[in-house]
Amino acid sequence: MFKGTNASAGIGIGKAAIIKEVEMVIRPDKVASVETEVTRFRGALADTVAQTKALEETLATRVGEKEAEIMQGHLMLLADPMLTGEIEEAIKRDSVCSEYAIETTCTTYADVFAAMDDELMQQRATDMRDIKTRLQQTLQGIKPVDIASLPEGSIIVAKDLTPSMTAGINPANVTGIVTELGGKTSHSAILARALEIPAVVAVSNVMDKIEEDDTVILDGGEGIVIVNPTDEGMKEYTAKRESFLQEKKDLERFKGVPTVTKDGVHIELVANIGNPDDLAKVLEYDGEGVGLFRTEFLFMDRTSMPTEEEQFEAYKKVAEGLSGKPVIIRTLDIGGDKEIPYMGLAKDENPFLGYRAIRLCLDRKEDIYRPQLRALLRASAFGGIKIMIPMITCIDEIREAKALIEDIKNELDRKDIPYNKNIQIGIMVETAAASLMADVFAKEVDFFSIGTNDLTQYTMSVDRGNEKISYLYSTFNPAVLRSIRNIIKCGREAGIMVGMCGEAASDPLMIPLLLAFGLNEFSMSASAILKSRKMITGYSSEELQAVADKAMSFVTAKEVEAYMKEFVNQ
Amino acid sequence: MVTAKVVIRNLTGLHLRPAGILCNKAILYKSRIQFRTDDDATANAKSVLSVLGACVKSGDEIEFICEGEDEQEALDSMIRVVEEGLGE
Repeated sequence: MFKGTNASAGIGIGKAAIIKEVEMVIRPDKVASVETEVTRFRGALADTVAQTKALEETLATRVGEKEAEIMQGHLMLLADPMLTGEIEEAIKRDSVCSEYAIETTCTTYADVFAAMDDELMQQRATDMRDIKTRLQQTLQGIKPVDIASLPEGSIIVAKDLTPSMTAGINPANVTGIVTELGGKTSHSAILARALEIPAVVAVSNVMDKIEEDDTVILDGGEGIVIVNPTDEGMKEYTAKRESFLQEKKDLERFKGVPTVTKDGVHIELVANIGNPDDLAKVLEYDGEGVGLFRTEFLFMDRTSMPTEEEQFEAYKKVAEGLSGKPVIIRTLDIGGDKEIPYMGLAKDENPFLGYRAIRLCLDRKEDIYRPQLRALLRASAFGGIKIMIPMITCIDEIREAKALIEDIKNELDRKDIPYNKNIQIGIMVETAAASLMADVFAKEVDFFSIGTNDLTQYTMSVDRGNEKISYLYSTFNPAVLRSIRNIIKCGREAGIMVGMCGEAASDPLMIPLLLAFGLNEFSMSASAILKSRKMITGYSSEELQAVADKAMSFVTAKEVEAYMKEFVNQ
Repeated sequence: MVTAKVVIRNLTGLHLRPAGILCNKAILYKSRIQFRTDDDATANAKSVLSVLGACVKSGDEIEFICEGEDEQEALDSMIRVVEEGLGE
C-alpha cells in the first residue's frame, strides 16, 4: 500500500495502464545551416499551435470551459515574440538544433516562475515545461500518447498528466488516476475532479512500483493506492466503492428539496465561501445562499489597500451570482498575525486576543472601514447582501459600527447612489463576552452567526494548534454547549435569526443538538450541504428535545460525544 | 514618446489571462509599448512573459510608455483596456 495526496474523491478499481512519455534525449547537436534550422523550428511551432487549438476545443467540450483555459494559456505563451525570439536567437548564436534551443530557453523561464512566491506563477512553470516537451515532440515526430483507446476499467499510472493527455480521457474507460508528481491544485488534480475520476497524486516512484496490467485499487479521498490486493482487500474496496457511489446518487436526490424538518421547521442551509470563485460550488450543491463570505482575500497578497471600487466589484459579483439569495458578508477579520505590510500593523504579542477585526476597523475608519462598508452598501443594491461584524465583545462596538453605517447611508442618499435601505446588520457571536451578553446584543442587531471555532477556543482558553493541549478543543465540552444553547435562546427570544458558520454546523453529531436548541441557519462548506440536508429532513426537532436534554446533563465532553455517537448510529 | 499612468484593478493583478488580453491589444499597434512599475522594472507590453515577469499585483500603478507612429492611439488603447478590467 502506498500513500499519496488525495486529489479527487472516490474509489477506483481496475488494471494499471502505464503511460510513459517517450524518452527524448536532447543534445546540443550542431546544425549545418542555421536558416534551415530556424525554418524547421517555425514549422514545428505552427504545428504545435494548431495541435494546441484542437486540444482546447476537445477539452472545452469533453471537460469544461475552465479546463480549456489551460490551453488558452499555452497559446498565449506560444505566441509570445520574446519566447520564440529567444529560441531563434539561441539557434543562430550557437548553431545548435531547435530541440536544444527550446530546452535551454523554456527551462530558464520555467525556473524563474518556479522560484516566485506566487502559486499562480509557479503553475506557469508547469505550462512552460509542457510547451517545451510538446515542441520537442513535434520536432521529433513523436505522437502524444493515445489515451482515448484505453480499455474499460483502466487505472492510468503516469509520472504526471499533461493537459494533452487528459483531453483524451474517457471517463467510461478510465476508473482512476495515479501520478508520481502533482498536488491538490495541479492541472492533473483539477482535471480529475472536473471529470469526477478518483485520483491520487504525488505517489513517490510510482512508476517503479506498478507494472502494466497490475490490479490497482485507489482511494482518492484518503490518498491510498493498493497494488495487487488480496481477495479480502478486493472485497472491502468493492463494497466501499459501491457505498460511495450509492451515497453520491442518494445525495443528488436532495437537490431542490426544501430543508424542512419532519415537524415542519424551516431551516436555512447555506455555504461558507472565501472568495467569489467558490460560488460555482455553492450553486452546484444547491446551497440556499451564503452564510459567511470571508473578505480577507481582498486584503491579502498585495502591496496596497484594495480600493472601494475593487471591493464593490467583488461583492456585487457574489450578490448577482446568487440571484437575490441571502449573502452574509463578514467585514475584515484580520490582525497583525497575517503578513499585510501595507497596513502598517505592529506584530501582536498575542494575536488571538489582539488588535484585529472590529477593533482594527473602528480604529482605522477612514482608510479601512469606511471604504469597505461603503462598497458593501453600494453592492447591496444588486442582491441579498447582509453585513456581519466579527469579534464583538462590547455593545459600544455594535453602536459605533452602526453609526458609521448610518452616516454612510446618509452620504449615499445625498448623492443619490442606490443601496438596500433595509440592509440587515448582524454580528458574529464568537467571544465569551458576546455569549454572556447575547440577550442584550440581540436587541441591537438583525441576526447572530455563531462562530464555533473561535467560540470554543475562547471558552476553553485553548489554542487548537498547540498539540499538547488540543484535546481540550471540543465543541462537545458542556461549557461550549451551554454557551451555544444560550446564544440561540437569546436570539430566538429577541426574534432575530440565529445562524452558525463554524465547523459544528456540518457535524452529524452536533446537528441534532443544534436543531433542538432552535438554530435557524446552518452555514458550511458547499460539499457538506446535501449530506446535512439529508440529515435535517430526517429529524423532528420536537423529538430531539429529549436527546438534547440528555446530552446537556453530562459534565464531560467525552460523555456528550459518546452519547451523540450512540444516538446517531442507532 | 507619450506616457500615462494607470492603476491595475484586477483581483489577481497581471496574471496570465489579463496579461494575454493586454498583449493582444498591444500587438495591434506599430509603436513600441512598454510599461514601468513601482519598483522601476520595465516590461514589454507585447510579450506575455515580459508582463508576467513584472509581477504586477492588484492595486499597483504602472506607467505606459509608447513610442512610434501610432503612439497616442496605442497609449489611449492601453489605458482603456486596463480601465475596462482586462476581462475580469
